[in-house]
Amino acid sequence: MGEFWHRFARNRQALFGLGILGCVILLAAIAPLVYPADPFSLAGQSMSPPGENGFLLGSDSLGRDVAAGIAHGAKTSLMIGLVATLVAVLIGVIMGALAGYYGGWIDDLLMRTTEMFQTIPSFVFAILLVAIMKPSIESVVIAIAVVSWPAVARLVRGEFLSLRNREFVQACHTVGMSDIRIMLGEILPNCLSPIIVIGSLMVATAILIESGLAFLGLGDPNVMSWGFQIGAGRTLLRSAWWVCTFPGIAILLTVLAINLVGEGLNDALNPRLRERAG
Amino acid sequence: MSHTTRRLRYVVKRLLQAVPIIFAILVMNFFLLQLAEGDAVDVLAGEAGSATPEYMAELRAKFGLDQPLPVQLARYLWNVVQFDLGYSFRHEMPVSELIFDRMVPTLLLMISTITLAVGFGILLGLIAATGLNTWRDTAISIFALITYATPLFWVGLMLIVVFSLNLGWFPTSGMENLTAFYEGWDRVWDIARHLVLPTITLSLFYLALYTRLMRASMLEQYGQDYVTTARAKGVTERRIVFVHVLRNALLPVVTMAGVQVGALIGGSVIVESVFAWPGLGMLAFEALFARDLNLLLGIFLLSALLVVAVNLVVDIIYSTLDPRIEVA
Amino acid sequence: MRLKHLATALACAAAMALSGTAALAQKAGGTVVYIVQPEPPSMASYLSTSGPIGLVAPKIYEGLLDYDKDLNIIPSLAKSFEVSEDGKTVTFNLQEGVTWHDGKPFTSADVQYTVMEVLKKVHPRGPNSFREVTSIDTPDPLTAVFNLENPAPYMLRALSGYESPIVPRHLLEGQDPRNADLANNPVGTGPFKFVEWKKGQFVRLDKNENYWREGLPYLDRLVGRFIPDASTRTAAMENGEVMYGAFGAIPNIDAVRLRDTDGFSVTTNGYAMINPMSLIEFDTTEPPFDNPAVRKAISLALDRQFLIDNIWFGYGKPATSALSSNFAATGLYKEGLPNYVANADIEAAKSLLDSAGITADADGVRAKAVLDLIPYGEDWRRAGEYMKQALAPIGIDLELRYEDVPTWLKRVYHNYDFAMNVNYFYQLPDPVLGVHRHYGTDQIRQGTHFVNSTRYSNPKLDELLSAGAQEADATKRAEIYGEIQGILANDMPVVNLFEMEFLTVYNDKFKDHDKSALGSYGSFAEAWLDE
Repeated sequence: MGEFWHRFARNRQALFGLGILGCVILLAAIAPLVYPADPFSLAGQSMSPPGENGFLLGSDSLGRDVAAGIAHGAKTSLMIGLVATLVAVLIGVIMGALAGYYGGWIDDLLMRTTEMFQTIPSFVFAILLVAIMKPSIESVVIAIAVVSWPAVARLVRGEFLSLRNREFVQACHTVGMSDIRIMLGEILPNCLSPIIVIGSLMVATAILIESGLAFLGLGDPNVMSWGFQIGAGRTLLRSAWWVCTFPGIAILLTVLAINLVGEGLNDALNPRLRERAG
Repeated sequence: MSHTTRRLRYVVKRLLQAVPIIFAILVMNFFLLQLAEGDAVDVLAGEAGSATPEYMAELRAKFGLDQPLPVQLARYLWNVVQFDLGYSFRHEMPVSELIFDRMVPTLLLMISTITLAVGFGILLGLIAATGLNTWRDTAISIFALITYATPLFWVGLMLIVVFSLNLGWFPTSGMENLTAFYEGWDRVWDIARHLVLPTITLSLFYLALYTRLMRASMLEQYGQDYVTTARAKGVTERRIVFVHVLRNALLPVVTMAGVQVGALIGGSVIVESVFAWPGLGMLAFEALFARDLNLLLGIFLLSALLVVAVNLVVDIIYSTLDPRIEVA
Repeated sequence: MRLKHLATALACAAAMALSGTAALAQKAGGTVVYIVQPEPPSMASYLSTSGPIGLVAPKIYEGLLDYDKDLNIIPSLAKSFEVSEDGKTVTFNLQEGVTWHDGKPFTSADVQYTVMEVLKKVHPRGPNSFREVTSIDTPDPLTAVFNLENPAPYMLRALSGYESPIVPRHLLEGQDPRNADLANNPVGTGPFKFVEWKKGQFVRLDKNENYWREGLPYLDRLVGRFIPDASTRTAAMENGEVMYGAFGAIPNIDAVRLRDTDGFSVTTNGYAMINPMSLIEFDTTEPPFDNPAVRKAISLALDRQFLIDNIWFGYGKPATSALSSNFAATGLYKEGLPNYVANADIEAAKSLLDSAGITADADGVRAKAVLDLIPYGEDWRRAGEYMKQALAPIGIDLELRYEDVPTWLKRVYHNYDFAMNVNYFYQLPDPVLGVHRHYGTDQIRQGTHFVNSTRYSNPKLDELLSAGAQEADATKRAEIYGEIQGILANDMPVVNLFEMEFLTVYNDKFKDHDKSALGSYGSFAEAWLDE
C-alpha cells in the first residue's frame, strides 16, 4: 500500500485530480450546511448574474440559486456515477468471472450475451430504458449500468482466462477448494487493479451520460443534479450564460479529476509501463 | 487449404455467429418496448387532437397491434428473414426506405468523425508518447480530457455561436442549403460545409479516447524487446518510432475504431439534435417516443449488422497489419 | 335578414381585397424557409389536427371560408354563402375556374364528399363541427347546399383550410381515407403545390402556377424545415437560414432578445382562432381533489403573473374565467368571477382550506399528490417546478412526474391514473368547439384524448351547455355562458391558469404572412419576400 501510494503521489496530474475530486466530495458533504434550503426553492430575483442579488453564481429563470444547485447536485451526480458503476462492475465481474473461469458453453453463452449488449447502440439503449422505466434517479442509474457492464465483463473474462491455469489456482484445486472460493478468494484479488481503473473511468462516463439524458429531458424532475441544471438552463445559454455554464464546468472538472485519478491508478498499479518507457 | 478459402470460411463463420445475436437483440427490444406504456396509435391519436376509442381500435387492427404478442413477434421475425423490415405506420412508409434515406447522412457524419478523431488521436498520442512526461505530454492529456469532459451540446452550441453567428463561416444546422437546392459539385461543397461543425463537435468527444489509447499503446510497444534490440543495434530513434513502434501501436487503435462505430450511431443523438443533422440517432429517438416499433427495431437491426460488419473488416485489417495474428 | 347582409358584405370585402392587392408594392418571387417543429407525422390535415401538419397543409389545401385578422369571414373556395331564415340551410357558392394541383376541376361534389365522407367521419373535430349536417345537395358544380338538423352558427367558424380542408374526391373515393396515398402526397387547390418531403430535413412546396386567385401567390417556393433543438432554431433564425417560426418554435427568452434586434420582429397575432388556455386538470373523484375547496385554494395560491413573467417571459394573460377574455368580442366572456387571482393570495388559500376542515399535519402538510406535466417542452417542466414550490406554503406537497407523450396520454385519458395534471387546451373560436369538451358529462369518454378527464359531472351545467350550443340570439347566449362561467368558478373542476400567447418570430424581410386570422395555419398566399 505504501509503495502504491508513493508511486501514485509521484504523479502530479493524479494528485491534482485527487485534489479536485476531494473538493467535489467535500462540497457534496457540506451542501446541506451551506445551503440548507431546498435547491429548487425560488430564492430571489430571477436571472441574476453571478455576484448580484446575493447569488454567488447567479440565479436561473425562476430565481433558483445556481450555486446551491451545484452544491446539492454534486451529491446526486457523484451518487449516480458511483452506484451505476458499482452495479455495472458487479454484473460485469459475475458475467466475466463465470465465463472466464468455466469456459466452454457457459463462456459462449455469456459472451454472446455480452456481445449482444455491445452491438446495441448504447446511448439510444439508455434512452429507451429510461423512457420505459419513467424518468427517475433509479431508472437513470439502471440504464447507465446496463449499458456499461459489458466492458467490465470482457475485461474480467480475459483476466480470469489467463489466471485460471496458473499454478496457484491449480494448487487450490488440488486441496479441494470450492470454485466460488477460488474465484472470489484467489483469482479476483489478482485482477482488481484493472477493474479499479476501468471502474474509475466509468464513474466519469456515467456522469456524462446522466447529463446527456437530462439534456434530452430524461432526468428526474424531483432531484437536483448537474444534468438537470444543464437541461433547464440550456435555452438560457444565450441570455444567461451562467445558468448552465457553471454546472457544465462542475461536470468538466469532476470528469477531468476522475480521469486523472484513474490514469494515476493505472500507472501506479501497472508500474511496468511507465518505468520501462522512462 | 489456401489462405483465401480459410479467410472466406472465417468470414462465413463470423457472420453465422452474428445471426443469433441479432435475433436476440430484436426479440429483447421487442419485449422491452412492450413494457412501455402506450403504442403508436396512442401517439397518433394524441397528436391528431381527439379520436374515439373505436377509431383507435380500428387503427390498431389495421397496424396489427391487436394481435397477441407472440403473433406480432413471429410476423415481424418472419418478415425480417425475408429481408423485409416491415412498415412504419407513423410515416406511412416502408421502414427500409426510411432507414436508407438516413443512411447516407449517418455514414457521412460517422466516417468523417472517425477519420478526424482517429487521425488527430494518433497524431496527438504520438506526440505525447514521444515526449513522455514533458509539458507536451501533459498539455495534450489535459486538452484531450477537457474535450472529452465538456458536455457535447455545449460544445455544439458554442461552435454555432462562434463559427456561424459571429464569424459566418459555416451554416448553423441542417445538411443542405434549402433556399438554393444546389446540384452537382455545388451540392457536394454545400453538404461538406454543413458537415464541418457537427463533425468537429462529435470528434472532439472521441478524440480523447484515441489520443490516450495511442499514447498507451506506443508506451506498451516501447517496452517490447524488439525495441531494445533495435536500440542496441544503433537504429535511430526516429526510425524506431516510425518504422517499428508506430505500426504495432496502431493495432489497438484500429480495433477501438471498429468498436466505436456501433456507439457512434446512438452516440450522435445529441449532435444530430443540436445540428439538425438527419441521421439515424435522431430517427431512433423519435421512433421510440412515437412508439414506432417496426422502425426502432429496424434501426437496431441495421446498426447491429453494421457493427458486425465493421468488426469483421477490422479483424481482417488487423491480420493484415500484423501477420502473426492468424484468422481462424 | 342579418345573415344575408353578411354575405353581401363578404362579396364587397372580396372586391376590396382584390383591388387592394394591385395598389401595394408586393414583390413576387423568392424562397422562404420557415420552421416546422416537430416533424409532422403526415400531411393529412383531414385526419389529424396535429400542430405541425397545420403549419404545412393549409398552404396546399383550402377551406370554404377564411377569416381575416379581425375574425371577419372572408371568401375562400366559397365566394359567398347564404343562411336560410330558419338557420337550417346554408348555401355555398363556389369560385369558378378552380383546379386541383393535378389539373382536375374542383366542384361541389368535392365539397360534398369531403364533409360527408371525410371530415364528418375521420377528422378529430369534424364530427363535432358538422354534427348538425344531415346531407349536402349539389344542384350544380358550383353550388353546395348544407342541410342541417338544427341551426349551427358555430359551424361557419370552422371552415378554414386548417380546420376543414376540402380534399379531392377523385383521389380518395373508393379508398379508406385513413389509409390513402394522399396522406404523404397531398393534392389541393391551394397556392402551393407539394413537391418533396425529405424526412428529417424539410418539406418543399412550390408555387401553384394555376392558382385561382390572379397574381398569387407571390413566393416561388416555401420550405418547411425541421430543427429539433430550440437553441439551434434561434441560431438559424439569426443567421437568416430560416425566416419564420411560429407556435413558440423560437423559445420566448430568445424571442424577447430577437424582438430587440434589428431585422427581426415578434408577434402574437395569428392565434385568435385557436385561443390557447393553460390549466390544471384534477381527478375530482378522489381525495384530496374531490373537494372543490382544495382546487380553489390551488387557484388562489398560484401566482399566475409569476408563471407568465418568468417562464413565458411576459407573454400571456392571467385567466379570469373558464373562458378566455378573447370571447369578450362575442360577448360570451364574463368578468369579475371569484377564485381567480393574478398574484398569489396565500392567506386566502389557507383560510379556504381551514374552513373546509383540511388541516395540516405536524410537518405542515395538508395533502400530498403527484403532479403530472404535459410533455410538450421545457416550459411546462419549469411551471411544474414552480407549482411544487408555490403550493408548499399552503400545505400541498407535490411530487413531479414527467413522462413521454404516449405514457402521459395513457395515464391521463385512458387509465385515469393521475391526481393533478398540467395541460393546455385550445378553446377555438367558439366555446362549443373547444370548451364544452372539458366539462360536459357526455364528454367523460374514457380512452378519448383531451376531453373531460376530471370526470366532473353537473346536470345543471350540462343543460346550460346544450342550451348555449343552440342559442342563436347573442344576448341570451351571453347570459347562458355567464351562468356557466359562474358555476365553473365556484366548482373549479379545472383551474384555468393563463391565456397563452404563442409567439411568431420572423425576419422583417418576410411580409404579410399574417393576413389571415389563422396566422401560421394560414395559406401564405399573400405573403411576400422583400429582398
